[in-house]
Amino acid sequence: MATTVAAPPSRAATHRYEKGIWSWLTTTDHKKIGQLYLYTSLTWFLVGGIEALIIRTQLFGPNGRLVSADTYNQLFTMHGTTMIFMAIMPLSAAFFNFLIPLQIGARDVAFPRLNAFSYWIFLCGSLFINASWLIHKAPDAGWFSYAPLSTRTFNPGLNMDFWVIGIQILGVSTLAAGFNFITTIINMRAPGMHFMRMPVFTWAAFVTQFQIILAFPILTVAVVFLLFDRFFGTQFYEPAAGADPLLWQHLFWLFGHPEVYILILPAFGLVSEVLPTFSRKPLFGYPVMVYSLILIAFLGFGVWAHHMFAVGMGPIADSVFSVTTMLIAIPTGVKIFNWLGTMWGGSLRFTTAMLFAIGLVCLFTIGGISGVMHASPPADLQQTDSYFVVAHFHYVLFGGSMMGLFAGVYYYFPKVTGRIMNETLGKWHFWLMFIGMNLTFFPMHFAGLDGMPRRIWSYDANQGWTNDNHVSTIGAYILFVGMLIFVYNMWRSRRSGTRVGNNPWDAPTVEWSTPSPPPPYNYAKIPQITSRYPMWTREGPHSISAAYPVGAPAEAPEPTAEELHIPMPTPTLKPLLASLALTLAFIGLIWHKQVPIIILGLALFAVVLLSWVLTPLEPEH
Amino acid sequence: MATIALPDSHADHHYTATGQTHTKIAIWAFIGSECFFFASLISTYLIYKGRSVSGPCPHTVCRGLHPILNIPVTSASTFVLLMSSLSMVLAHSAVVRGDRKYSRIWLATTALLGTTFLGFQAYEFTSFVHEGLKITTNLFGSTFFTLTGFHGAHVTAGVLWLVTMLFVDMKRGLGPRDAINVDVMALYWHFVDVIWVAIFTLVYLIQ
Amino acid sequence: MTVSHHPRQPLRIAVTLVLALALVACSGYPNTTIGAHSDVGREIDSLTYLLLILGGIVFVFVEGLLVYILIKFRERPGDTMPAQTHGNTTLEVTWTMVPAVILAIIAVPSVRTIFRTQAKAVPNALQVDVIGHQWWWEFRYPQYKVVTANELYLPVGRTVNFSLRTADVIHSFWIPQMSGKRDVVHQDRPNYMWFTPESSFVWNGACAEYCGASHSNMRFRVFTVPPAQFATWITHQQQGPVFPAPAAASADTSKGAAPAAPAAAAVAAAPADTATGTWPRDKLPTWTVPETPLPTDVTVAASSGDATRGAQLFKTGACIGCHTIQGVSPGIIGPNLTHVGSRTTIAAGLYPNDMRHLMMWIKDARAMKPGSIMPPMGKGLPEAMGTFTDQQIADIAAYISSLK
Repeated sequence: MATTVAAPPSRAATHRYEKGIWSWLTTTDHKKIGQLYLYTSLTWFLVGGIEALIIRTQLFGPNGRLVSADTYNQLFTMHGTTMIFMAIMPLSAAFFNFLIPLQIGARDVAFPRLNAFSYWIFLCGSLFINASWLIHKAPDAGWFSYAPLSTRTFNPGLNMDFWVIGIQILGVSTLAAGFNFITTIINMRAPGMHFMRMPVFTWAAFVTQFQIILAFPILTVAVVFLLFDRFFGTQFYEPAAGADPLLWQHLFWLFGHPEVYILILPAFGLVSEVLPTFSRKPLFGYPVMVYSLILIAFLGFGVWAHHMFAVGMGPIADSVFSVTTMLIAIPTGVKIFNWLGTMWGGSLRFTTAMLFAIGLVCLFTIGGISGVMHASPPADLQQTDSYFVVAHFHYVLFGGSMMGLFAGVYYYFPKVTGRIMNETLGKWHFWLMFIGMNLTFFPMHFAGLDGMPRRIWSYDANQGWTNDNHVSTIGAYILFVGMLIFVYNMWRSRRSGTRVGNNPWDAPTVEWSTPSPPPPYNYAKIPQITSRYPMWTREGPHSISAAYPVGAPAEAPEPTAEELHIPMPTPTLKPLLASLALTLAFIGLIWHKQVPIIILGLALFAVVLLSWVLTPLEPEH
Repeated sequence: MATIALPDSHADHHYTATGQTHTKIAIWAFIGSECFFFASLISTYLIYKGRSVSGPCPHTVCRGLHPILNIPVTSASTFVLLMSSLSMVLAHSAVVRGDRKYSRIWLATTALLGTTFLGFQAYEFTSFVHEGLKITTNLFGSTFFTLTGFHGAHVTAGVLWLVTMLFVDMKRGLGPRDAINVDVMALYWHFVDVIWVAIFTLVYLIQ
Repeated sequence: MTVSHHPRQPLRIAVTLVLALALVACSGYPNTTIGAHSDVGREIDSLTYLLLILGGIVFVFVEGLLVYILIKFRERPGDTMPAQTHGNTTLEVTWTMVPAVILAIIAVPSVRTIFRTQAKAVPNALQVDVIGHQWWWEFRYPQYKVVTANELYLPVGRTVNFSLRTADVIHSFWIPQMSGKRDVVHQDRPNYMWFTPESSFVWNGACAEYCGASHSNMRFRVFTVPPAQFATWITHQQQGPVFPAPAAASADTSKGAAPAAPAAAAVAAAPADTATGTWPRDKLPTWTVPETPLPTDVTVAASSGDATRGAQLFKTGACIGCHTIQGVSPGIIGPNLTHVGSRTTIAAGLYPNDMRHLMMWIKDARAMKPGSIMPPMGKGLPEAMGTFTDQQIADIAAYISSLK
């Protein structure tokens, strides 16, 4: 679609840090950092998707021999690790970064340089762990890496060394961001932005950060133990020394279960933004939606052993965790009903963003139902570790998280870039993804109930699994085509999509009052918030018949920060340098424990850190 | 939607919803997170207590080997660390009232006491190794050294932080406007002390 | 009408329908977990049916409501601004309580079943020790002093109590058509699981916890047989190897008038199972006969061997370091081979037990099964421990085949 409105004249970049690649390397602007996360995470999503395609091709028919068993084990381990830590989480982080300050009426996050550091250390960690592919020694003990299979006794090669170190690096990124966003949301809300006036996405992000800062330390400890066992000869997971193999499982799942809520709540938040806008009425049951987020996060720490129903914990533990798992289904189900209530009585307009949001409501319900089926331990003893659970978690992660995140991408793309994405291509993407996803994962319910174990490199003929696997593989290829269309749409829309004004969707929340894209300082004046839906009147949106995009792009350029006397943080290379230094130390560790390199890396890190903390964020004014 | 023009962009730039600084909020979030970190380490120590199949034990003679822990010496180091929290409080109060002489004395004292504690730890670790307990020896060694080692690393970070503060004080002087940052550092220091009290109780005192 | 009694009658009808469907479907789905064939399996089934039915109801209701909403409230020209409803407390309470009730309907039988199925096994249960190895299953019957591997015989109608341990990493013991799975976690502290098989057939088993390179190749067979046949099988397993042990061996404990070893490849003519109690080969259903493709880079240029020569080669070769043949060799690293000739598969359910596969296995086990710690025995292979020529391998295979 050619633009018909003249682009606003760009103001000349006055600082050498403000243009080109240097501006990206030194940025502390949450909006740019959000874009870095967006493109990086989508790239890893494609990488994880290719890993999945190879897996599905190998499993197309019985006794496949496309890849060796060793390669297959690396593929499924990296597919899971990539999708969770390098696709879904950073894609959520893209939204945390871009949206939270705008949604609460702030100019940036509380610690902009720490924010940049979170991104760069994430990039370094993701490159580190994927570098293992170059030597064909990618991690191969599964994404949850059970001991003792992951110990040096049973896995002596470099594969798991990449995993333990890579996970720690990625954990640093996530934790730093957690402290940043908690401080931002608590401390930088605009006047009048009471907690119960915050957009639901910010609530979802807020709750998620608390889960992150409490769950990731447990993962850190679990992985520290494994790292120490592998590198320094400690005995944490060595059965010969009297260690309990279940220690890993308890520690991991104490992290792992909150982690899955970390993966889904941001998508829930995005759906809660998208549905009201395209139903033209407020979110149904806002307080209940907020309380259910809090309850899910809290209860999420009490269900971890439902991943361990088959390990023989005893009937009392099994029963307790069964009941807590069922309990957590209640606030989750309540959210589904409130979304239905939001759409009920509305005037629904099916933009691509809306379709993806509805997709989450539809598909997460299925994943939730299979989840409740898992909550009954005797039945779960058939379902767990079979393709039934693979179906379950792909429905909640793909049909849930990814659908919600794609809804967010289509919804917020105009705010980020100033242009909307092509709706026709978007609908192709949606339908291919919706159909492909169901074709891929629905048959897995049957394969699992028909006795197909998970994580198997190949299966024999005549087992009753062949047809299900045929369909799954075809579905996976359909999914991939949909993704290619999406990538093309993003690329094309960035270059030549229709330009938009402040609020192309006639949406209710305050971020839509800013220009698209917003100026570096977000708000010329910090807004005073008087309601939950500042951009709507009491009667709702301004019009329900206007075609999208509503409004026109601005013709005059916005004033600069200098003109408004708004002090802006100085761009700085230090977050990137700190990330590189820390990564160097970890490279020294994996590369035959080269102590000089470790010390060099740590020393450089300390020097950069010192310089960083002693330099003020903004130039003195 | 009404927008309000705060008196000037400078003031609206330093506006916070709670009246606290960002670092104050962040340090509390950090401390909460660290509680889960140390809780995981301590829980593992307690789960594995008494389950080593070789090597020395903490409090008892086992497998013909002497008990490893030295309660009197560690009590002394605990006392040193507790005193450092006291000097930290005194340092903070000196900074608040702008007393440059005593702010330096008490900050330096805290750093010194912290370093003394680390010295005790180093002595303790090396003597344990000589007596046959290394981090690789058994479950007790692995859990003990990892737990106390990470605590020591946190103390070290705190000492470096104190030294940096002293350095800033030498350069431009700390005044009441720095009270917040000293307050945040003090919170961290006290937290590390509290964790040590928990470790001392659960590892050393309770048999 | 209380909630707990209300769904009973329609539930019975539904269960019957589903069972019928399952039986029909069963023929194409030989490993299905629906329609299990033991007491515990049936208890799990009734929970699964309950879950499927309730899940189905919720699915139809929610998705149906969603579709209705999407159609009824889609934007139409001339739409007026929708009422800006913010919520409804009654609805919130309703759609919190109704799911809670549904979950209670699931929770109560779940907890009951947990306690029933995890109670201690009956005192006269058959004890079977299961030890998971990378990547095969060791089975011991301590009450009968029988040790075997990868093929499990169980008497119909008698409760079997499994004691589950691992020799290395965590595995999971799963016979989908019999019961749920249980992980083998510890080397010293067993997990326990029991069930009572209710019909006689052959069932597939698999490892269900990712355990390394050949996780997907760690399969086993379960034969549930009439008690008389089980007794025959046990008695036979207690005997020494069928092939007479060479004189130079330690005290020969094999009993019974085992005939001299027949010429090699003749396993086709299935012996009557009255002697060994084993399941006849020709009565194996298709899905228990593996079709695993052979690696292309392993060839054996021999087709038949001499079992006597093979016995001698075995006794003097590296084989005795890993394998037990009663009265012949004491190795415990690999599976017990005393009666391996009467097993239907080799390599833990991976290949049919015949001369060709046996020869290829002995020549290069690692090419046949990724990660296998059995070293290649063929001459000139890298990492080979043996230097057996193809003919020598054929001889050993003939000897192995004769150990029925």
